[in-house]
Amino acid sequence: MINVSMLQDELQNFVSGTSDVQGAALVSPDGLALASVLPGGMDEERTAAMSASMLSLGERIGRELVRGNVERIVVEGEKGYGVLVACGSDAVLLVLAGAGVKQGLLFLEVKRAVARISPLLA
Amino acid sequence: MLRPILGDFSSIICFKAAITGMEEALGEKATAIALTAAGRYRGKTLAQELDLANSSMSLEELADKLDHGFGKDGTRLCIVEKIVQEDNEVIKVHTSETLCSADEPQGSQRKCTYTLGAIWGVLEETFNQRLQGKHTESILRGGNYDVFEFTKLS
Repeated sequence: MINVSMLQDELQNFVSGTSDVQGAALVSPDGLALASVLPGGMDEERTAAMSASMLSLGERIGRELVRGNVERIVVEGEKGYGVLVACGSDAVLLVLAGAGVKQGLLFLEVKRAVARISPLLA
Repeated sequence: MLRPILGDFSSIICFKAAITGMEEALGEKATAIALTAAGRYRGKTLAQELDLANSSMSLEELADKLDHGFGKDGTRLCIVEKIVQEDNEVIKVHTSETLCSADEPQGSQRKCTYTLGAIWGVLEETFNQRLQGKHTESILRGGNYDVFEFTKLS
């Protein structure tokens, strides 16, 4: 059985310990929030449903447009980034970061977070 | 009545065409997530309208209320036959004539998404408890009912 409090702790450590990361959410592939550390005012359920459907849609685009396997989906706005990555086959990780973050560093930190979180989902 | 001539109801054919059209454009998975989320929103709204939030009614009473909201006297999404609880952890909602299964051939792999979400939303609002929901038995695959199973999330 998945230990939700361990997931929550891991996300909390990731958000508080990584500069420019403003929030994160771990979501089941069917759009249910497993754990989240989101900025105030963001609706957890809506964010979860959006994240899972966005990744699924991105994977479909990857297939239909022959782009191969999707590594990540990045939403880049004037106020920052939203990064979506698969976290094993059982979850989707959403990471929110400020506009000042270095993209390469962010992607590396996200990759490391996935490596820490994936075993907790096994 | 929301429309003076056509009334409040529209055909299942159009609703199902919307679902299959979304599946064609967005894929089955993204469509399922969107429809389940839409259903949960509808279910929560219905629970608030029926003043079910945080209520302590029996599962039998809740099944009656749900059937009133979704069944023949309600929006006709499905008939809610019964709700049973197992091991104090799992809630099973037995339904029939679900909109999602209508006009599907026997053996079809179609899953109820909107209906699952609608019942899910009502239960979460009623029990003030986060749940994980699944469509576990289908009349399209040998079941007597479409059964939705909900487990409590910590």
